[in-house]
Amino acid sequence: MFKLALRTLRLRKGGFLATFVAVFFGALIVSACGGLMETGVRSETPVQRLAAAPIVVGGQQTLKLPEDDPATLEPGDKHKFENATLPERVRLDAGLAGRLRAVPGVTGVVGEVSFPAQIGVASALGHAWDSAVLTPYTLKGAAPKPGEVVADAGLGLTVGDTVPVAAHGSVGRYRISGIAQAPQAMRDAAVFFAASDAGRLSGHPGRFDTIGVFGGDVAAVTAAVGDAGVVATGVDRGAFELPETGRSGENLIVLAAVSGGLSALVMVFVVAGTLTLSTQQRQRELALLRAVGTTPRQLRRMVLGEALVVGVLAVGVAVVLGPVLGNWLFDRLTAHDVVSDVLRFEQGWVPAIVAAGAALLAVVTASFVAGRRASRVRPAEALAEAAVERRWLTPIRLITAILCFAGGTALAIVTVAVMTGPVAASTAGPSVMLWAFGLAAISPGVTKLVAMLLRWPVHALTGVNGRVALRNTRVGAVRAAGAVTPIMLAVGIATANIYLQTTQEAVSNQAFTEDLRADAVIGAPGGLDPAVLGQVRAVPGVAAASEYVTSTVFVEKPFDSGQHDDGRPALGVSELTGNIVEVPSTLGHHVGDTLSLRLGDGTPVDVRVTAVTDQRPGFERLVLPAELLAPHTTLGLAPQLLVRAAPGVNPATLTSRLREATAGLPVLVGDRGTLIAAHAKGNEVGAWVNYLLVGMILAYTVISVVNTLVMATAKRRREFGMQRLSGFTRGQVLRMAGVEGGLIATIAVLLGTLVAAGAIVPFCLVVTGSPLPSGPVTIYLTVLAIAVVLSLVAILVPAWAATRGRAVDATSVGE
Amino acid sequence: MTTGWHEAADAVRLEAVRKEYGDGVTALDGVSIAFPRGGFTAVMGPSGSGKSTFLHCAAGLDRPTSGRVVLDGQDLDGKNETYLTKLRRDRVGFVFQAFNLLPALTVEQNVVLPLQLAGKRADKRLVERILVHVGLDGRRKHLPGQLSGGQQQRVAIARALIASPAVLFADEPTGALDTRTASEVLGLLRDSVRSSGQTVIMVTHDPVAASYADDVVFLADGRIAGRLARPTAAAVAERMTHLGAWGRVAA
Repeated sequence: MFKLALRTLRLRKGGFLATFVAVFFGALIVSACGGLMETGVRSETPVQRLAAAPIVVGGQQTLKLPEDDPATLEPGDKHKFENATLPERVRLDAGLAGRLRAVPGVTGVVGEVSFPAQIGVASALGHAWDSAVLTPYTLKGAAPKPGEVVADAGLGLTVGDTVPVAAHGSVGRYRISGIAQAPQAMRDAAVFFAASDAGRLSGHPGRFDTIGVFGGDVAAVTAAVGDAGVVATGVDRGAFELPETGRSGENLIVLAAVSGGLSALVMVFVVAGTLTLSTQQRQRELALLRAVGTTPRQLRRMVLGEALVVGVLAVGVAVVLGPVLGNWLFDRLTAHDVVSDVLRFEQGWVPAIVAAGAALLAVVTASFVAGRRASRVRPAEALAEAAVERRWLTPIRLITAILCFAGGTALAIVTVAVMTGPVAASTAGPSVMLWAFGLAAISPGVTKLVAMLLRWPVHALTGVNGRVALRNTRVGAVRAAGAVTPIMLAVGIATANIYLQTTQEAVSNQAFTEDLRADAVIGAPGGLDPAVLGQVRAVPGVAAASEYVTSTVFVEKPFDSGQHDDGRPALGVSELTGNIVEVPSTLGHHVGDTLSLRLGDGTPVDVRVTAVTDQRPGFERLVLPAELLAPHTTLGLAPQLLVRAAPGVNPATLTSRLREATAGLPVLVGDRGTLIAAHAKGNEVGAWVNYLLVGMILAYTVISVVNTLVMATAKRRREFGMQRLSGFTRGQVLRMAGVEGGLIATIAVLLGTLVAAGAIVPFCLVVTGSPLPSGPVTIYLTVLAIAVVLSLVAILVPAWAATRGRAVDATSVGE
Repeated sequence: MTTGWHEAADAVRLEAVRKEYGDGVTALDGVSIAFPRGGFTAVMGPSGSGKSTFLHCAAGLDRPTSGRVVLDGQDLDGKNETYLTKLRRDRVGFVFQAFNLLPALTVEQNVVLPLQLAGKRADKRLVERILVHVGLDGRRKHLPGQLSGGQQQRVAIARALIASPAVLFADEPTGALDTRTASEVLGLLRDSVRSSGQTVIMVTHDPVAASYADDVVFLADGRIAGRLARPTAAAVAERMTHLGAWGRVAA
């Protein structure tokens, strides 16, 4: 059968090209997403700053949280934990360095601190000079004494100059005592201070970001570190240089998993559709094979064999090109700050295996379905003049549809009844897929039904061409559904994803704007000196001023089942002092309760609830004193100060007075608009991820629709020829094909809109109270336009080609 | 598996075969008939008389609603699809009106296909002899698309004969051919009967085609409506006219 399959392949290039294209692009996208995921899992950051230290000790950035309330567990129950990633840098005590020096074999122990420093106008990272050996830097000039710095050669400064250096919220003047040359190109320029200056400017003297260990073996060092930190060697050291790579890596994993998973699902549909269609078009040939003695089993093996040959070829090419697409996507993601550009794109063989496995599984599943249909072909059909379309509603389709619709309905009910705020997207999002797959499973029936409903408008708008087109769509519903399904999937997924995104964005921006009572903002990338607050409060026209610190905290006691491994967003403000907290009413705490928290860097602290506030659903935060929260952030200082104008003070006046008051400080003063714009920009990251995902799925759908329609229309040469012989002009045939394309597009768009509505309406009811999403209507119109143009082009071009030449020639061509 | 000697003597025998379709149409209404070995029988009838259904049931392509079909001594009742397929492969040859050949395979590959499907090696001399017999020895490497309609039908006959079947069924084998080509194809069928004792059952509505047969069986409204031995085209046409009138009155 395999030989026969190969021979058939050679002659039926068209149909198999369609399968090739569907499998190729599916595997390509899955492989690229696999590459992104691998990059995220590895989170490889090339070691630069710590390159010279063979062993590096860093802080324990994960926090174990119980999954279940320990109070409710029976003594015998197992305690399950989940690992939360601490968002702020966990620092090491200097005492650990002392203990490591005592480890046998260790020849050197160097503690490292990094803090943002601005030297002149250039941004750099400040370190203590004694840690320069970790890279190692080579020095021209002298080591810095207090009041002196050694500047990175890349900064272009000269020894003996005196430069202003801003760090830890203040500006000092330093003499350049030497120039340091790194052994390789570095991500960040370095400024080295004397040890005492570095300790002061880092804001945490006596504590290190990392400790480099020279000599000694890893096991002994690990034993000496114990629970106090994490030991890394080799490429893993890179993660300590930039703790945010962990976050980026996680983002990338989620993004890749969602896109890859969705693409794999779409691929199953597309490949199954293509294979079924191409098998169906060979019905007569298959029936003939059955008649002359091919057993059902042999036929199934032949269909599988053909599909596998094509599939393996397609997968082979796809996994070779997968990393190219993956790298391109990664570049786009880093360019838009979705992931940190310190990560290195890394694609090994695992994504290739996964992509190949997923694609071949799709091929095998699809050809199993197609082969089963093919082997049920009654041999007598070979004798029949025209192949009648077969019954399409199999129990499997029906069960799939019922399960999907039930799931979609359940999710909609959960969304409306249980969810509050933008989290509702987590149940609304998956329901798109359920509605889409449910409709896809029964698409021939639905296509027929909608075509029937569209009878009147079509009759009203078109003549005989329209009527024939309508009949073609209804009688050939399975064929039409082959084109309707992918367009419906694309319209549904694109519309739902984009509008969920825009609505979420609109709600978030609205919440931010409405909750923001500040008229001006003072920001400093390196952190604000706490003394600035006092100066600002003294400025005439300032009604109130507060530091603004955001971080994440984890509630340890009482047990908080809602935080999972994400923790609770926390806001630090200057109005509060001491160990107190204001909690949102949704958490169920009362005034006077004591909460045991872990701050962003893992530091435990007990706080007393002094107020319970009603907060906007989905944007709840624990409000803590800024002085409590800020020291436990990576920066160690508040990055922003919000200022409210006294009644009657013009915001513009206020801003200019603030500029005067903060002159000479390393800060930027902005107005309310600056804050709102910055917030909106933060949202764009999420939007961009969504557009990328939607774009990829749309592109894949475009390919598969064109595939399907071209394949189906080119096959109708004979039918078109017959129509022309029975009196249709070529123009009429083309117009009829055009009406069919329009019908297919209309049906698909209607169904796609329905699918999208299944997700959008419950979501919007929850977050905005209105069933309609927020966002420009042009997006929807664009999606519609793409769907219509696509169907028309994909059906008209092959129809035009199939009606070239004389009608008689077309009818005389056999199968 | 084996039954009485007289059963094995017939190539195909139908006993009270009824075939009803889901929509209430009775295509065969209790047909009982035996086809002796080595005979060339034409089955004739007007459109809708049940000719095609008759052929499908007799050849094991379709199952009767009730009754029995015995093909080369094998009772087809209750056999599964794979069994029937293998039986067709080994004991039955088919020639259809059109679309007989796989377009991807050459003449020779098409001819040996039933043997390959059965996992048998094709005897080169046998293939050659059959291709010579149907007059296509020089075209064995051609694809079906490069042949005329008559040549394609002759390839189909060669394929039907390759496994030395007990019966060769032909369904309107000349329906798509012109008169001269048709007579070549029919002559070829008759030669197979005369020279090697092949059993041929041919469904047709063309009296001229039927006149090549030894025996004509008439079908009307799913019933046997008569037989005619050593037919001439004129005699067959005469009978058909009456059948047509009878059919219309009965309906």
